[in-house]
Amino acid sequence: MTTARSESLYATVTGDAGLKGVPVILPGAGPYGGDEEIPEPLVTGGKTYQDVDRDICMHTEQFPTRRWWIAFGVALFLLSFLVLGVATLFYSGMGILGINHPVGWGSFIINFVFWIGIGHAGTLISAVLFLFGQKWRTGINRSAEAMTLFAVACAGIFPVIHLGRAWFAYWLVPYPNDRGPLWVNFNSALSWDIFAISTYALVSLTFWYVGLLPDLATVRDRATHPWRKRFYNALSFNWNGSHRAWRHYESAYMILAAFATPLVFSVHTIVSFDFATSIMPGWHATIFPPYFVIGAIFSGFAMVITLMTIMRNVFNLKNYITLNHMEAMAKVIMLTGMLVGFAYTTEFFMAWYGGNEYEGFIFRNRAVGPYGWAYFIMFTCNALVPQIFWFKSMRRNAVVLFTVSILVNIGMWFERYVIIVTSLHRDFLPSSWGMYALTAWDWMILIGSFGLFFTLFLLFVRILPAVAISEIKGVMDPRVSATKRPTATAAVHAPGEV
Amino acid sequence: MPRHSTKGVLGDFYTPDEALAAAARVRDSQYTHFDFLTPFPIHGMEEAMGQKRSWIPIVTGFLAFFGITLAQTFIYYVMIGDWPMNFGGKPNFAWPSFIPVTFESMVFYAAIGSAIVAIIAGKRDTIPQPHPMKIKTGATIDRFVVWISATDPKFDATEVQRFVTSLGADGVRYVDAEAGNV
Repeated sequence: MTTARSESLYATVTGDAGLKGVPVILPGAGPYGGDEEIPEPLVTGGKTYQDVDRDICMHTEQFPTRRWWIAFGVALFLLSFLVLGVATLFYSGMGILGINHPVGWGSFIINFVFWIGIGHAGTLISAVLFLFGQKWRTGINRSAEAMTLFAVACAGIFPVIHLGRAWFAYWLVPYPNDRGPLWVNFNSALSWDIFAISTYALVSLTFWYVGLLPDLATVRDRATHPWRKRFYNALSFNWNGSHRAWRHYESAYMILAAFATPLVFSVHTIVSFDFATSIMPGWHATIFPPYFVIGAIFSGFAMVITLMTIMRNVFNLKNYITLNHMEAMAKVIMLTGMLVGFAYTTEFFMAWYGGNEYEGFIFRNRAVGPYGWAYFIMFTCNALVPQIFWFKSMRRNAVVLFTVSILVNIGMWFERYVIIVTSLHRDFLPSSWGMYALTAWDWMILIGSFGLFFTLFLLFVRILPAVAISEIKGVMDPRVSATKRPTATAAVHAPGEV
Repeated sequence: MPRHSTKGVLGDFYTPDEALAAAARVRDSQYTHFDFLTPFPIHGMEEAMGQKRSWIPIVTGFLAFFGITLAQTFIYYVMIGDWPMNFGGKPNFAWPSFIPVTFESMVFYAAIGSAIVAIIAGKRDTIPQPHPMKIKTGATIDRFVVWISATDPKFDATEVQRFVTSLGADGVRYVDAEAGNV
């Protein structure tokens, strides 16, 4: 229940400077004489519904800014690394990479797990926070979901090129064939992966697109060129805002969220099964599924913070993605950072407590062996650095947030490096021990995958509304819009006017 | 019933609460071909418009069951029926390792199928709608618009306009897309 006082609060907060990150408490103002707690507005600046449309749609309507072209140029340049790297890989074969005996899973599997992990935050924000009724998700869910799709696209490349003969990738799909027919083995975690990741990509795409429908209609109704109107009308399937359609829409959106939630947990669980179902010390652990899922959420939120910091500044969205949103994400980073730290420690405890000498050796070797430096980077960036978010001033400092988010992403890449390389490079037989290093081609393809990711993301913010307009409107105070509306006579429509 | 109507009466509200109060009065009126066009879904609007709960969850249930059945049947055919292989003497029907694919299949059919059915249902399970390319309502921008279609059996342009004005709507207007009056 909002009162007259809460109305004035909504109108006066103009930007981040007016937000404190705590609700306003009015003693004795409640309906039965108790205290009243008024949460801070999710949208600042006293925006009307029309302001929201303009602020968000304008980036799709005007010629790109210079900054966008520079960013796009850099992204395309990095993408060329991927194209060149993969083309050379196909031409010359796997020999140009660092993988060899005994480390047969190298940078490609590391990158695959890294990108799939990044993708998880988008579904978490859109589905899990939706089911928990967290309204702050509305500011960031659209771009986080887009990030999911592009991260999954990057992730999908790596297992395919890791096959060596990528042109036979369709053999992974069970279809009647003239090779027997020889089917895939449904007992294999690698075959589960195909189903999990393709389902994840398609369900995320559907979830994202269903959320986009009303906003595509908004873009259409703002458009002036007839072909632009037709284009966006076709994309929105003739959406006109009918409540008879909203009824089914809302039901389907809830169902998508309810299915996407277990899906997001299942996907990274199955990715962790790729390791956990093997007999390698350091991989064969029951902690792997929750450990991987938490790590995925952790790295994904870090990437969301990185992207949101850029979007807030470049696209002037500080009224919609406020400092309160950033602080909420910092809290998630701190919680999940402590959970991955807990998982790292648990692994060591179990290696000692389990009494298996191979397991014990692997973990000693992980921390103080030849790859101790990677373990140090991983532990510092993931478990120690996020502790800075115990301080509210740090959670609300844009520079600190951005720096920590980059460090967490570096740390999470090294987490996968540590898990994969240290377990493989020294296994049961000391005579078959070896070392692994990324070659220039490994680095090139890794850097190129960032190019693909940023190219797709930059195109997305140009073509589609990057913030969920209809959902933002749903959490705004409608009175702000109503009081600023045109007078009664002016509101009578001229033909074609909205 | 035609999917689109070119004639009808529109009236604007500016807050969800006004639209909600008006919806209850339209529901209790003699008109049945009415709708509210809004920029975002309004909580409580289904009751106010006298609609039942969406039937999409029932479809989802069937689709989920279909996904489970399809995956189980297919895996059984592949792993036991068509080409049974010996993995260290373990049983061919290793049902725990069939769970992940079955689960993914269930999610795939239930989630994507429900979304497609909901989009089609929004077009079919409805009253004749104003076509968004022919009649501009502003409902995707900032208006909460009441629409009473001319296909309503009790429709009378003057009478309906008087009724919509009595709801407190602003900018009440009779639109006729064919006559160019939008």
